[in-house]
Amino acid sequence: MSETVLDVHNLEAGYEPGVPIVRGASITVRKGEIVVVLGPNGAGKSSFIKAIAGLVPITGGSVFLDGQDITTAPAHTMVRLGLAFVPQTENIFPLMSVEDNLRVACGILERRDIPARIEEMYAAFPDLVRQRRTAAGNLSGGQRQMLAVARALIVHPKVLVLDEPSAGLSPKFVSAVFEMLAGIRKSGVTILLVEQNAKAALAIGDRAYVLVEGKDRHEGVASELWNDPVVAELYLGQRPQRQQGGAA
Amino acid sequence: MSLQFIVDGLLTGSMIGLGAIGVTLTYSILRFSNFAHGDFMAWGTYATLAVVSAIGATFGKVAPIGPLSFGWPLLVALVVGMAFTALLALLLDKVLFSRLRSQGQAIIVVMASFGASMALRSLLEFTFTSRPTYFSRAIQIAMPVGFGIRITPDQIALLALTAVLVLGVHLLMTRTQTGRSMQALSQNAALARIVGIDVAKVVRVTWIVGGALACVAGVMIGILVQIRPFMGFDMLLPMFAAAILGGIGSIPGAVLGGLIIGLAEAGAVQLIGAEWRAAVSFIILMAVLFVRPIGLFGVRER
Repeated sequence: MSETVLDVHNLEAGYEPGVPIVRGASITVRKGEIVVVLGPNGAGKSSFIKAIAGLVPITGGSVFLDGQDITTAPAHTMVRLGLAFVPQTENIFPLMSVEDNLRVACGILERRDIPARIEEMYAAFPDLVRQRRTAAGNLSGGQRQMLAVARALIVHPKVLVLDEPSAGLSPKFVSAVFEMLAGIRKSGVTILLVEQNAKAALAIGDRAYVLVEGKDRHEGVASELWNDPVVAELYLGQRPQRQQGGAA
Repeated sequence: MSLQFIVDGLLTGSMIGLGAIGVTLTYSILRFSNFAHGDFMAWGTYATLAVVSAIGATFGKVAPIGPLSFGWPLLVALVVGMAFTALLALLLDKVLFSRLRSQGQAIIVVMASFGASMALRSLLEFTFTSRPTYFSRAIQIAMPVGFGIRITPDQIALLALTAVLVLGVHLLMTRTQTGRSMQALSQNAALARIVGIDVAKVVRVTWIVGGALACVAGVMIGILVQIRPFMGFDMLLPMFAAAILGGIGSIPGAVLGGLIIGLAEAGAVQLIGAEWRAAVSFIILMAVLFVRPIGLFGVRER
């Protein structure tokens, strides 16, 4: 078994004191894995992943990244610590060019390495090259998502964390985004993602957790979880949502 | 109609524009209307004046530079004044604005800036009295430059200084990592933190740039008009009008907005009389809000 990159233990988090949304959730992500966090609407998936990224106040538990305690690290220090987060919406700077969107995220890189690193991102995401001078707000939904992921990857993160990367995309783009994530994992990047689109996420994931009412209730190998009756039960007697890709 | 209003308008517009840069940055990055911005101008001007006097007391009378009305002491004092104004802005943010900002209600910060404005202005009046004062009482001969336009060497120098500063700020905003971070913060504060931008640092740069330029604008008024505790407060409406006309957050917009308002004011003085001067920026402000609320360079949020 390979080494643990991200270790979240008994996490409690919420926006208001005394009103936890995440109530003791634990997950581990090992090097090179894609780990998926599933759960019914309102399970606290988004808050859980935002808390890990330092965006929702943590009231209990711990988050370790590569052995380092990052539980109380402020959000802006996360990229330096090795955690790059891609929010679900508003994950680009709409009025800045594609290139400036990438460049503004390079604060932790050596100045002389930045141009080459940007070119590497263009090589990995060829759709972005033609649009490098375009204001990011003019990109299509799928291209925006690519830019947001490229922006996160540019700093060589130890783990890439995504909040519902397929949300709001048309079905055509949904498969493109998941193919992109599978490709990124092949290049050696560890990925943690939260998804509503259970089927597509499980298809590319290695392991998955089911989060219900702010707690991790079930864990399993991604390919088996789709047919796991426990999962169906946790989704309140339904199958995991068979979405055609639309947002929840 | 004499074309002299063009020079007058460009000068007034430069002062308004330099001030409006600070207003537009504070508004777009810190998300509040800083009513104390005009008083930063006045404080910077009085600080510069104090340094000029101190240099005069130490080195005696210093010959002016070429045909200008001022010598090197004013230039040194201006740099000191800019630093002082930047520090004043940082201090005010630390003791007042940053605490209120963390509560997340913009209107409270706006009201606090209104209070700070009154306090700053009254302190100046208390210390220096409300009597106008001047950097120099020397009279400059305006040179004819054709088309019935006359311009003094001071005016040429200050227009050039404005151009250099505006270009400098524009390059800072578009070509440096700090400037890109400022743009990022104004567009999406949460995402700015996610991509690793230290918001506190960007906020400091914003106050430093805004404060320093406010001081320059104030000193320009001091050189070309006069120094009074109310000098900055009187500029507040034109500055806000310029920032909104240009489009909140846009540096070129703020400067162009300033120039348009300056020219409109100067033209109105000639056409309909000086008593209407103050009404001009108000009318432009209302017209912009009515016709194109996002301003000339503004972009609709997508």
